[in-house]
Amino acid sequence: MRPAGLFLLWLCALGMLDVGLFIHGQQGRAQQRAEEPLMRLATAELGLTDLCVATEARYTRHPAVTDGVVPFMDHPGGLEHFPSGSFFAPPMAGPRAR
Amino acid sequence: MANPLLERQINFLDYTLSSLWRKRYKNLAVVVVFAVVIFLLASFQLVSNGLLERAQTALVMAPEILIQKMTAGRQESIPIAYAERLHDIFGIRQVVPRVWGYYFDEVTLANYTVIGRDQVGGGTDDQLAQVLSEGRLPTAANETVLGQAVFRTKGLQEQRIFSLFRPDLSLKTLTVTGLFKKESNLLTDDLIVLSLADARDLFGLPDGLASDLMVTVANPREISTVAKKISEALPGTRVLTRPQIEKTYHMIFGWRSGFASVCLLAALAAFFIFAWDKASGLAPDEKREIAILKILGWQTADVLVVRFWEGAVISLAAYLLGCTAAYIHVVFFGSTLFLPVLAGWSVIRPDLHLLPAIHLADLLLLFCLTVMPYLTATVVPAWRCASLPSDTALQGG
Repeated sequence: MRPAGLFLLWLCALGMLDVGLFIHGQQGRAQQRAEEPLMRLATAELGLTDLCVATEARYTRHPAVTDGVVPFMDHPGGLEHFPSGSFFAPPMAGPRAR
Repeated sequence: MANPLLERQINFLDYTLSSLWRKRYKNLAVVVVFAVVIFLLASFQLVSNGLLERAQTALVMAPEILIQKMTAGRQESIPIAYAERLHDIFGIRQVVPRVWGYYFDEVTLANYTVIGRDQVGGGTDDQLAQVLSEGRLPTAANETVLGQAVFRTKGLQEQRIFSLFRPDLSLKTLTVTGLFKKESNLLTDDLIVLSLADARDLFGLPDGLASDLMVTVANPREISTVAKKISEALPGTRVLTRPQIEKTYHMIFGWRSGFASVCLLAALAAFFIFAWDKASGLAPDEKREIAILKILGWQTADVLVVRFWEGAVISLAAYLLGCTAAYIHVVFFGSTLFLPVLAGWSVIRPDLHLLPAIHLADLLLLFCLTVMPYLTATVVPAWRCASLPSDTALQGG
């Protein structure tokens, strides 16, 4: 087989793998959508404001209800040092009602 | 072949692939490094998208307005009496004091979120019971419902009674009456839900104080208007609204989110310096090859087409491999590589088996950020060399 044929064959195989992954993802997302009412119920009934992603610092556990400067508040000159802080952008740029 | 133009391009591709195969180890190294950079960028984008999607769907029912008391730039407990100062504001349906906070368990070194609950959302206990995998909601004093991770971390197993320390180091004993479902782990994994009185007792919070006030408005369209009136009526407080909570998640998981994305973009920049160096400084044998091709009758455009195919094959292979590996990493391996950063020193680690949607815009953005510059970096130097007379190129000019 010509080299171009082999390359196109490889591309097709990778493409088919991607299509398979896409179909799998769509099926999983349908199941995820079925869980959404449960999540909304928990949020509404418990008054939740944040996802439980990082629990090491209060400003990454509840970024929506903390100040953007909280990481630096613990003492004068205190620096942000929790690893999860590097994943979250500071939310302070959002306009607050006050 | 029916189409001579297509046949010509396939011939060019054949020649390019043979040429790449001759230097297969060098080219394979470039593909691997390129694919790793794309994999990291795509994984980061997929994790951010996945978390943002979950936040958008779950937090659509977040509290409409929250009032926090601020003193010297810090949040502190708010007097419940503040609620009485809001009676005159038209549009407020209900003001509910909330008691919640964090509990650091010195035995397991885990941080838990403690929530005091007395009919927060106006729904019935039967409704909230749907979120429980077993048991029931607390109905009496000293009863609690736990998130899956709290139950696991405390090592309770068959045991249903455990104790937490009050601020004065006296013990408060709690009985577990239920567990939250695994499906809601992304919200409830670290929760200890108690009655309002028990939460107040655990934190040693006086009766007249609460952590914050949750306000429900009659018309959701008036949230911002009501929030503005509240902030005028209660100076020294911070008023958070549901749209702001949603906006926060857009910002923290956006493209520019965090220091990690800066590091990844730095890795991308480093790769381009590497690629530019590899591609722009044509090796003497590559220059000789171009000169010989020109002597054999190839035009400058033909040389450019070969170089284009060379860049396209390498970058396309790396792009497809990188993106596919990123999806597998995020969906099937729970973002293992990012978990140490995302969870940090948390003892309670999230189950990050996300299923993010694939957005064409993200794929195109990644394509433009990675493939296009590489193509430019390979074609431009070849054009400069191919424009030289053959004898000059053969002499190494």
